[in-house]
Amino acid sequence: MSSSLISNPVTNTDLTKRRKKKKAQLKQQLEEQNHIKWKSPAQQQIYSSKLHQALARVNLRSSASAAGDAPRRGKAVREAADRVLAVTAKGKTRWSRAILTNRLKLKFRKHKRQRITAAAAGPARSKKPRVSVLRLKGKSLPAVQRKVRFLGRLVPGCRKQPMPVILEEAIDYISALEMQVRAMSTLADLLSGSTASGGSSSSSAPPS
Amino acid sequence: MENDFFLNGSALHFEPPSSSSPSLPTWHYLSSAAMDIPVSSDQPQQQQQDCFYNPSWEKSTIDHNHHHHALQFDSALSSMVSSPAASNSNLSNDNFVIRELIGKLGSIGNAGEISSYMNGNNNSTNTSCYSTPLSSPPKLNIPPPLMKDKLPMALNSSVAEFSADPGFAERAAKFSCFGSRSFNGRSSRQVGINNNADFTQRSSPLMENGKLSRVSSSPSLKALGSQMENKNSPLNSQEESTISEQNPNGESGVKPSPPDMNSRKRKTSSKGKPKENPPKAAEANEDSSAKRSKPNEGEGHENGQVKGEEESKGGNNNGGDEKQSKSSNSKPPEPPKDYIHVRARRGQATDSHSLAERVRREKISERMKLLQDLVPGCNKVTGKALMLDEIINYVQSLQRQVEFLSMKLSSVNTRLDVSIDNLISKDIFQSNNSLAHQAAIFPLDSSATAFFGPNPAIHNTIPNGTVNHPMESLDSALCQSLGFQLPSMNGFNEGASQYPMTFCEEDLHAIVQMGFGQTENRKTPTQSPSYNGSSQISHMKVEL
Repeated sequence: MSSSLISNPVTNTDLTKRRKKKKAQLKQQLEEQNHIKWKSPAQQQIYSSKLHQALARVNLRSSASAAGDAPRRGKAVREAADRVLAVTAKGKTRWSRAILTNRLKLKFRKHKRQRITAAAAGPARSKKPRVSVLRLKGKSLPAVQRKVRFLGRLVPGCRKQPMPVILEEAIDYISALEMQVRAMSTLADLLSGSTASGGSSSSSAPPS
Repeated sequence: MENDFFLNGSALHFEPPSSSSPSLPTWHYLSSAAMDIPVSSDQPQQQQQDCFYNPSWEKSTIDHNHHHHALQFDSALSSMVSSPAASNSNLSNDNFVIRELIGKLGSIGNAGEISSYMNGNNNSTNTSCYSTPLSSPPKLNIPPPLMKDKLPMALNSSVAEFSADPGFAERAAKFSCFGSRSFNGRSSRQVGINNNADFTQRSSPLMENGKLSRVSSSPSLKALGSQMENKNSPLNSQEESTISEQNPNGESGVKPSPPDMNSRKRKTSSKGKPKENPPKAAEANEDSSAKRSKPNEGEGHENGQVKGEEESKGGNNNGGDEKQSKSSNSKPPEPPKDYIHVRARRGQATDSHSLAERVRREKISERMKLLQDLVPGCNKVTGKALMLDEIINYVQSLQRQVEFLSMKLSSVNTRLDVSIDNLISKDIFQSNNSLAHQAAIFPLDSSATAFFGPNPAIHNTIPNGTVNHPMESLDSALCQSLGFQLPSMNGFNEGASQYPMTFCEEDLHAIVQMGFGQTENRKTPTQSPSYNGSSQISHMKVEL
């Protein structure tokens, strides 16, 4: 290599530049596959820690406001969990950014939203495919298109995105949701376990 | 013939450098002595090769002795060098003739003094056309001042520069090789056959590049006039630039040039290019110009002075212009814009619309494949519509799970104290760590199955209708995560009575009571298969 370096300084620098560019591109490609990173335990740890802090804040807030409704608190927890998930996503995806911005919007319209969401909590959760709406409009999109549009509504922030964008967002969103479920279940178990054991004789809770 | 010329040349040597006006004739004589082509400004019949020399030779023979071949040859050469071409037109012819003469001189070579002289000063023969030989003996130092009188100033400067650069000697030698092609045998004397071969190989491809680069390199040259002028003047400027730039590595630079060719064409990095390209371009141009008419040479020499001033500029310009020329010559392989270039496959439509459509379809199918890997149970399904159904169901189930867990957490949080939070945070980290390591390994304990008790209640809370298959993988993960914790919560049963208090939800009350009532749940093994993995997991979650 040294000889070649000496003899072909130009080509060598070019080659090294090429290699560096390729390596950088590969790394970028790997990093772009964010949905893989959600499976890493590190991500789960980060999320869990952040979620814990958020939950503590929620507790304080709820205790301060004396909100005794389980649904409301549950909603708060849910929102906190989603927000933490979006933060963990570092805002690289549309759904994470939409969640974060939605929270901001909701803060301004908190009371209205709470009433509306509480009222519409039940039926809204069912998430029936709204084919009827499309028929009213007179459009009969192909089945795939319809489903993709529906999926876009499921994923936050992807209502009016084109098809490939929705699919990409769905990939990352599904991975993130899986991680969220894992973390929350673990956290819930731990919390419940610790509280349960703490109540009787703390066996799992290590001494501080 | 050559011998005759040589003899005549030797005779010509006797022409004293003292001849001022006849310096041209001497010059011509010398050149003619070495070469076949007559070069004479005196006589109008310049194109005639043979008859040209004869009178001059005759004169020389008459006038001079034959003894001091070498000395007088040197002197003659110097005078020839020093004496400017009679006229520009003559110069042009002379240059051409001289080139050929030099080329033949090299081929002659056998002549003792001349060969030695030539060997000693490889470039002297070549440079003699243009300027004083580089390593010329001191005698030749005299001519340069004489040159100023006769040659154009450009030539003087060029000569001075030429003399300054030993590398030019080599290059000039190569040039002569180009011109005559008879130098191949003599290449050993010069830099090396390799270079010649390289040059010859590269000459043609280089010529274009070189020419174009030359054309574009020096705008001042273009202003001078004809295209030939421009081409040759850049050549000279290139030569001068190379000379002034002192390319001792010119040879080494030249040798690796072939591999650099492609790289240079591809890349516009100007590192080393100004140095490497000028010699190549110079050689290429030399080659081309050698074959071409000579007048440009003279004009080039005239412009050489200007070029000399523009050496640095030329060098710099060459880098940029070569880039331009090379980019223009070699169609850049990379697209200038960030377009994804698609090539139509065999047997497929080449319409732009269809190509774009194909790209779009490929993108979508690629994403669908990723989704298929992500969503459990999609492997069995084929077709986009069905897969999308599965995906939608999976997303919905995940969102429901999150909601359920959030409710659970909220209920658990109500009983949380700040101190416990600190403890839990540590637990979380530890558990997560342990989970990460053991999740894949830890099997479900029987105790875990014990918690699968009450199913119907959970069924109510979690609609399982459409969530059968997609949850399996997730359930396994959860099972593993929970399974790990289960042993640590064996004290659980003891505290089970507290659970109805912790879970405020009506369903959970019934579930917990039912679940803990059964230490051994025979039902669960039988029931578990009937259940969807999700339901099982949810049971576990509830009970815990």
